[in-house]
Amino acid sequence: MKTDLSPRAKVALYGLMCVLLIPFVFPTWWMVTSSVKPISDIFAFPPDLWPRRFDWSTYQQVFELQPFARQYWNSAYIAAIVTVGTMLVSSMAGYAFARIRFPFSNTLFMVVLMGLLIPSEVTIVPLFQLFLSWDMINTHWPLILVPIFGAPSVFATFVMRQFFIALPVELEEAARVDGLGRFKIFWTIALPLAKPALGAVAIFTFLHSWNLYLEPIVFLSSTHMFTLPQALTQFTDAYGGAMWNIQLAAATMTAIPVLLVFIVAQKQFVEGLAHTGLKG
Amino acid sequence: MAPVTLSSVRKSYGATDVLHGIDVDITDGEFIVLVGPSGCGKSTLLRMIAGLETITAGDISIGGRVVNELEPKDRDIAMVFQNYALYPHMTVATNMGFSLEHRGGSKGEIAERVNWAADILGLKPLLDRYPRQLSGGQRQRVAMGRAIVRNPQVFLFDEPLSNLDAKLRVVMRGEIKALHQRLGVTTVYVTHDQIEAMTMADRIVVMHAGKVEQIGAPLDLYDRPANLFVAGFIGSPAMNILAGSIKDGDFHAPGARLPLPGDTHAAGPVSYGIRPEHILLAPNGLPATVLLVEPMGSETQVTMTLGEQTIIGIFRERLTARPGETIGIMPELSAIHLFDAADGQRIN
Repeated sequence: MKTDLSPRAKVALYGLMCVLLIPFVFPTWWMVTSSVKPISDIFAFPPDLWPRRFDWSTYQQVFELQPFARQYWNSAYIAAIVTVGTMLVSSMAGYAFARIRFPFSNTLFMVVLMGLLIPSEVTIVPLFQLFLSWDMINTHWPLILVPIFGAPSVFATFVMRQFFIALPVELEEAARVDGLGRFKIFWTIALPLAKPALGAVAIFTFLHSWNLYLEPIVFLSSTHMFTLPQALTQFTDAYGGAMWNIQLAAATMTAIPVLLVFIVAQKQFVEGLAHTGLKG
Repeated sequence: MAPVTLSSVRKSYGATDVLHGIDVDITDGEFIVLVGPSGCGKSTLLRMIAGLETITAGDISIGGRVVNELEPKDRDIAMVFQNYALYPHMTVATNMGFSLEHRGGSKGEIAERVNWAADILGLKPLLDRYPRQLSGGQRQRVAMGRAIVRNPQVFLFDEPLSNLDAKLRVVMRGEIKALHQRLGVTTVYVTHDQIEAMTMADRIVVMHAGKVEQIGAPLDLYDRPANLFVAGFIGSPAMNILAGSIKDGDFHAPGARLPLPGDTHAAGPVSYGIRPEHILLAPNGLPATVLLVEPMGSETQVTMTLGEQTIIGIFRERLTARPGETIGIMPELSAIHLFDAADGQRIN
């Protein structure tokens, strides 16, 4: 929407936006700057916006106290598999719900959506028993399988279905006349056109997997199997007190991929949500 | 090229009958236009020929082979859609060669066919562009290119000019007609625009409420409409229809008495049809009160009341009459159409 604002109104608007930005930017700024402060400077009052002394050794200690590179890799590969898997499952399910007429499709879709109403805390115990019976405790399988076939995928299926419903049906009819079967239509016509929705699904699935906390602490027990959110809680001294600067250094490194993903793909993320009608 | 035969074709959605038994024989290489108002079933019929809709009853055959159960890809047809249906993520060349690629054509063959079609349609400079980079007319041409590249037995067009502006529509109309004359492929073309139908068709199928009202050459339909619906649908402005009855060799309408040809044998209640251009100026003719004068340049369109009914006349003369004035008119006797007042069928 294009609006014609007077210069004074523009200044006021941008001023207001800057003020509103503070609560969002300050925690990140505090995290990054505190990660290079000696622990005694972190809680100084009034707080320093810029470190008085730089202590870069915190970043080295992150890797000495924990198998942090391994944990980083764990989070990265799990998030990658979950993202690709969810994109595949949700796009196929979303396409089927949007385009294929089969008995009770709408009812089934409602049943699938109802999965979103069940909090993960409710299902965690049965899931633990299930994966225990499959001998998958202290493996990464639960962290991969649960999101791909669980709530994140349900939401992604909803997003994809909304996108495919809006896709002109004539494109598929033209493809049928051109000689394509159902799967080829999905793969060569519908899916490439669903890039904005897939981008949105990829971002929020990646973020969900990257930030997953409850499931790792339930299913994983070995330090070398930990993912990053779980690893962050392990930077404590002999008495269980948090080693804040080291923890914040680890948190800063944990946040980097998330920021990168969002900066690179924010346009697609917004476009994707706009296609689904979820944007306000 | 192939003939297309529709035999007692029916379509129902649940309890709702959409097509009530359509019989049409389309000869090899013919350009046939299905025309009718919105909701008459013309697009549904075209989609049934394409295989995009199932057939409730009856048979559709293409080239002598019943295709009721065949998938669209196996019917050897090509279709041009109303909104072009070009794949947005493919270039013009890829769009045009897509069907050949999926039918196992070699790269050389595909390139040759795409170039041949692009040459005919003037698309060569656009081959590397994406659909979003094309104008409406160019997209339409690409859609046609995609259809001809495969050399199908039948072309199907579903209101392909509806999204174009009036000027471009006239240009594209000519191009489609020229393409048909060049390739000679059997063509079924759907439109709701009767001018498009008149100017393009070898024969027109006029449809209304899921039934065929009349099939014939454009001028046959214009000169001898089989019923009131066709009379009112074909021609612009529409034929004037007056309600009244025949008594003593004349047609009596409320407030007016119109002459009939000497060989008229009908009597009793009828509908009297006369096209606007068949109303002549006659100083001593029937008095009509002018309501509206619309000079068109080459002719003048006059809306007027004759007795208690409103009619339209188109005159070659440059009329100076003003609204409220009375002019004398006379119907051309050889161009009068009479329809049964009860069932609307032609009776003269």
